[in-house]
Amino acid sequence: MKNVLRSGTALVLGLAVAGQAAAQNMLSEIGEGEGQVNIVAWPGYLERGETDKAFDWITAFEEKTGCKVNIKNANTSDEMVALMNEGGFDLVTASGDASLRMVAGKRVQPINIDLIPSWSTVDDRLKEAPWHYVDGTHYGVPYMWGPNVLMYSTEVFPEAPASWDVVFKPMDLPDGQPNAGRVQAYDGPIHIADAANYLMFNQPDLGITSPYELNEDQYAAALDLLREQRKLVSRYWHDAFIQIDDFKNEGMAASGTWPFQVNLLKAGSAPVASTIPQEGATGWADSTMMHVDAENPNCSYMWMEHSLASNLQSDLSVWFGANPAVPAACTDGRGMQTDEGCTTNGMDDFERIKFWTTPVSSCESQGTCVPYYRWVSDYIGVIGGR
Amino acid sequence: MSMQAVSDRGAGLFGRLSDTLWRRPGLLIFLLILPPAAWLGIIYLGSLFALLAQSFFSIDEFTGIIQYEFTLKTYAELFRPSNFDIILRTVVMAAAVTVGAAAVGFPVAYFAARYARGKWKAIFYLGVMMPLWSSYLVKVYSWKLILAKEGILNWMFETLHLGWFLNAYLAIPVIGGNSLSVSATGTFLVFLYVWLPFMILPIQAALERVPHSMLEASGDLGARPAQTFRHVLFPLALPGVIAGSIFTFSLTLGDYIIPQIVGSSRRFIGQAVYAYQGTAGNIPLAAAFAVVPILLMAVYLWIAKRQGAFDAL
Amino acid sequence: MTSAIRFSGVSRHYGDVRAVDNVDLDIAEGEFFAMLGPSGSGKTTSLRLIAGFERPTAGEIRIFGQVAQGIPPYRRNVNTVFQDYALFPHLNVRDNVAYGLMVAGQPKAQRHGAADGALEMVALTGYGDRKPSELSGGQRQRVALARALVNEPKALLLDEPLGALDLKLREQMQEELKSLQRSLGITFIFVTHDQGEALSMADRVAVFNEGRIVQIGAPETIYFRPETPFVADFVGSSNVLPPEFVAQLTGRKAHGALRPEAVHLSEQGHSATVRSVSFLGAATRIGIRIGDVPMTMLLPKSDTFPKVGDTVTVNWAAEDLHVMDRA
Repeated sequence: MKNVLRSGTALVLGLAVAGQAAAQNMLSEIGEGEGQVNIVAWPGYLERGETDKAFDWITAFEEKTGCKVNIKNANTSDEMVALMNEGGFDLVTASGDASLRMVAGKRVQPINIDLIPSWSTVDDRLKEAPWHYVDGTHYGVPYMWGPNVLMYSTEVFPEAPASWDVVFKPMDLPDGQPNAGRVQAYDGPIHIADAANYLMFNQPDLGITSPYELNEDQYAAALDLLREQRKLVSRYWHDAFIQIDDFKNEGMAASGTWPFQVNLLKAGSAPVASTIPQEGATGWADSTMMHVDAENPNCSYMWMEHSLASNLQSDLSVWFGANPAVPAACTDGRGMQTDEGCTTNGMDDFERIKFWTTPVSSCESQGTCVPYYRWVSDYIGVIGGR
Repeated sequence: MSMQAVSDRGAGLFGRLSDTLWRRPGLLIFLLILPPAAWLGIIYLGSLFALLAQSFFSIDEFTGIIQYEFTLKTYAELFRPSNFDIILRTVVMAAAVTVGAAAVGFPVAYFAARYARGKWKAIFYLGVMMPLWSSYLVKVYSWKLILAKEGILNWMFETLHLGWFLNAYLAIPVIGGNSLSVSATGTFLVFLYVWLPFMILPIQAALERVPHSMLEASGDLGARPAQTFRHVLFPLALPGVIAGSIFTFSLTLGDYIIPQIVGSSRRFIGQAVYAYQGTAGNIPLAAAFAVVPILLMAVYLWIAKRQGAFDAL
Repeated sequence: MTSAIRFSGVSRHYGDVRAVDNVDLDIAEGEFFAMLGPSGSGKTTSLRLIAGFERPTAGEIRIFGQVAQGIPPYRRNVNTVFQDYALFPHLNVRDNVAYGLMVAGQPKAQRHGAADGALEMVALTGYGDRKPSELSGGQRQRVALARALVNEPKALLLDEPLGALDLKLREQMQEELKSLQRSLGITFIFVTHDQGEALSMADRVAVFNEGRIVQIGAPETIYFRPETPFVADFVGSSNVLPPEFVAQLTGRKAHGALRPEAVHLSEQGHSATVRSVSFLGAATRIGIRIGDVPMTMLLPKSDTFPKVGDTVTVNWAAEDLHVMDRA
């Protein structure tokens, strides 16, 4: 999902053969349910009221269709791909990198959107998103998306910061104290894209058109910015709950984060809020995809329809601090989500969000770009003070 | 009087099997050793060598595809400043943790081996082992809370009006930081806590084996207690210290969880391996990093042997 | 004669256990002194009190006139040969022997020279580079001896030093220890549970029982004139005769001690029944019973021995029956 940008290598391979993964036999009509459906999902994506009674988008589905939902949680995109390679599963809630790898590896089958009545309600901006729509074929149903927002302490900032520079440049924050030691940054190479996104806005002469497609000069400028940031950051955050703890116990003032942490902190009455500053933000998006040898295709299609039509979109967006793939879920009262909630989660900022793709050598915008594996090693160097 | 010399007890199949094994003890040993040897040889060493083999491949700079040709290029990459930093940082931390654990662990082990009896011995074992029973992650997270800026330790320093001291310490570069929980010192403390039992138990076992008369003899011959420690007790406990240090040193070399949760986010070898193989797909470099602790431990053991650490075994 | 070690009312109690109980003792300088007794009798604890490994709970110990109270072992000018030798396994023989000199700060060449000299004294020249584990039990014993003596102590404490050796070696070492003590002229204090060893080596013997000294004296006195039935039994395997029986013979109602070798077959005397016959080589031990009094006698080599169940007549010289006034 958002915390993982995995294996540029596989993606390079993937893109090369993607064209060959042409239309395979799609289901043409939905028959009787098979009685069950097996789904690989991110933790927290499939709730049946066991964690919190209020959050349940499975029980009703099971009652209605007779398809029992079997959940297998996966913590990384690699794990998801591995599980799908193993087989025995019908659906997966795949993130961008995993989705293209699985399309390339022919682990997932094309989706017949005609069999999903609620497809029309899907956000138009997502219907043909490149992470599941390859060469004119649909390989997934959009599930959830979200921005990487700027979280700030309302005790430090009376007003939302206008720019990401509060976490990139040394400065005194509105409370008169310097920001050094009081800001955090994401502990993953993808954070280079956040730096590039900042530069894209603030140093247009670099000519950055996508924060995921950087030539050597642009890349070097992003690393320089991050080296400056290293002096401000006392700890890079890796685990959502550690960051939550840091905002509670370490006196943090600002950091890039997911809406998830913002919501949890707010729920715990911590004085924080979030914003998407003038530069825009990076973000993530997941889709439901179907295994090429799915044994329960009918229940799978029923689930995909359910994922769009039911309270799932609304309640999950509340639960996870994400945005529904169906905009109506924000407003039509099918679940707990509200228009304001969606706005908080960044629903209106879609255009300002650069959904990540894995950086590869051969990039569209400028021919040759710095590939992801170098992002990894260089970011390690940056954090180490190099 | 019965003249039968052989009892017919156990004349069945198992009886005959037992007889055969009794006559051919080599066969018994072979049968006993076969499964673990197969496991060790094929699965354990096999996967290790598969890993090592990866380190002699390289990743194509341009496409990021692994090239399955023999090269030392990946090892050369280890010496790039950013990578070498990681190795150096990890080794220094592992060494510091080992020395710290020995310094803290020895008196504890000494007390347990020499003075603790009965109930106190049980309490000692319980005290040393109990941290091992709870989840590693829970322990590390607890430490994060203890060391946090608004945590117990900081509060204690403030309450004792020693906050200035802590702040002065944290202002020291490299080992300091914004708070203990984001400093290298914090990482050190958590490592020390988590691996301490692995140091105490071997030392305690080694000390238990030192006859008390050995220490009396030393004192009897005129050695002051410090001299007895230096010339008799420590050399005799050294195999235990070395055994413990192998644990603490190698565990610190390999860990990637603690520095991720407590510390300055600067990478350690384990994290580098994790990042390179997991997200970057740079398995050769990850493998080369994984070789580093193996080499370091080999060198460490070699030096220890040369220094006579195993003479008292 | 100056006093080397003096105990005045020394006790060492562990809770209710009286390991050493109100002991008075005076060991002369240059004396070969044995502490004899069964295990748990307090002899080893007494030795450890001298060495300083234990502290008395009452009484006063003086070592060469100096009050030992509060002086740690490493400041006492006595050295110990331990029962298990306590050689340092990580040091070679030379370094073991030189240990005391090393901790005293002697330079290497000097202490190694002294160590080699000490090894020569115990006939282990050339063994300096070996590890203790490469030596036999007897050789280790000598190393332990050399290690203690190289410090030139004023008194040497030996805790069952020969216990782990086989019989032949033990006898040889007994000789050597004795001649060593004579040539060095220092005080040897020797703890043993072997009465033969104590009697053959020591100038004086203290017999310990239950934390107290029951008799102290020259070996001959201890052997021939035991003062209590315990000493008679433990030291000499004497026949301890009940007071009633002794009263019949001597008119004095007290325990009597009669050495087995003092009893012989005779034309006249006491009629006895033979209960057991054991061939011991140089002599034969015969268990007899006079009335209801059991007794053993040792008969020298002879052509004929009585058999079990025979009735024999035995006798002894009147002066061999030693009447013990103390209980």
